[in-house]
Amino acid sequence: MKTVIPALATVLLLSALCLRIAARPQTSAEAQRAQTASHAKAKSSQEGERRFQANCGRCHNPPDSLSPREVKAVLQHMRVRAMLSAEDERLILKYLAP
Amino acid sequence: MNKIVVALLVGFSFASGLFAQSSTPILSGGMQFVGTSNAGVDFFQPVISPVLAAPIGDHWLIESRGELQGFFAREDGTTGPYQGQFFTTLDYAQVDYIANSHLTVTVGRFLTPFNIYNERYGPAWIRNLQDPAIIYTIGTRTTASSNGFMFRGVAVAHDNWEWNYTAYFSALSNIKNLQSGRAAGGRTGIFLPDKGIEIGVSYQRFLQNGEYSAQGSYFVWQTPSVPLDVRAEYAHSPSGQGYWIEAAYRLAANRRNTTGLARLQPIARVQQFYAGTPSPTAFLPSRDTNRVDFGLNYYLPHEVRLNGSYGRQFTFRGNANIWDFQITYRFLFPAWPGGSK
Repeated sequence: MKTVIPALATVLLLSALCLRIAARPQTSAEAQRAQTASHAKAKSSQEGERRFQANCGRCHNPPDSLSPREVKAVLQHMRVRAMLSAEDERLILKYLAP
Repeated sequence: MNKIVVALLVGFSFASGLFAQSSTPILSGGMQFVGTSNAGVDFFQPVISPVLAAPIGDHWLIESRGELQGFFAREDGTTGPYQGQFFTTLDYAQVDYIANSHLTVTVGRFLTPFNIYNERYGPAWIRNLQDPAIIYTIGTRTTASSNGFMFRGVAVAHDNWEWNYTAYFSALSNIKNLQSGRAAGGRTGIFLPDKGIEIGVSYQRFLQNGEYSAQGSYFVWQTPSVPLDVRAEYAHSPSGQGYWIEAAYRLAANRRNTTGLARLQPIARVQQFYAGTPSPTAFLPSRDTNRVDFGLNYYLPHEVRLNGSYGRQFTFRGNANIWDFQITYRFLFPAWPGGSK
């Protein structure tokens, strides 16, 4: 019994260490994925802002605040008025209603 | 009566489902109060201009803009009590089918696409100076709106340049608030997004009361590095030709800054008009006219803008000072219940 308990403790400790080591790269990969997604979102929003300034900003300033569903209607209206492309509409939507 | 109520309820439910699937119709537009002193004659114009945009799915859009405008002046020009009246106009009421980025088909009443002033800088909350350009009526006869059909879109799109176009036909209409001339025309332009430059040309063939043509060109430059906007138009018709050039500079290091002095925007505009064959229906000066305007915009929070401007007009009959003061409010809210979610 005296040898079983230290042996079990050793096994548990080793298992915990193995799990920690195995988990480390996974956490890092998840963090990297999250970081990449965040960068992509930020990049997409930046591109949306650039397209807003290039197209809509030629005539007026951005509105104070808009809900996502209002933005959709506004963008469809401006798609006709300012001849926005489908890609412009998608990116500006991300900028105005992230 | 019951049938009507049931039909309305069914219609309401159908519309709710339809709009819930796509996006909320919006009610937008501007309210404005303008005070003007033109060569000693004072007048006031309260204006409300609502815009309705109702998307149906991803390809269809119903949109409309009306205007209720008051005009109040002294009874005898410079003396007497103020009196006035209100006018209503329907600028556009159209159905759009957005086929793709290259083509949108519009049917109904729409703004006549000649150069850029009429379509882009017409709304009071957008234009920098209250008084429209002298050459505004060239190419937009008879009411700046057309009844018919229009094709528009971006013919070619690349990352650093685009080629856009608009072509339309309008029928003659003498119906009150829906007047339009029989005309055909279009506009085409090249846009360089990275440089903020757009340049284009317009054409209109007026097909009534003695056919004639109007030609125009325009230039827009929005500098990417500093918040400077430069806009210019040239237009020619048998009744005269002219140009305007306008520059507006936001007192900020960049376009993102909206605090303190960055809310100020000085504006300057120069116009020259050379009269041609006078026509009472062209709404153009019968003599050569030059004009210079200086203005200042101040952008307050919550979509309110103050603007003051001074203009000096030089004509054969004499020169005149024109002072304008205006306050504009731009509004936008959902036109359907639950739309702001």
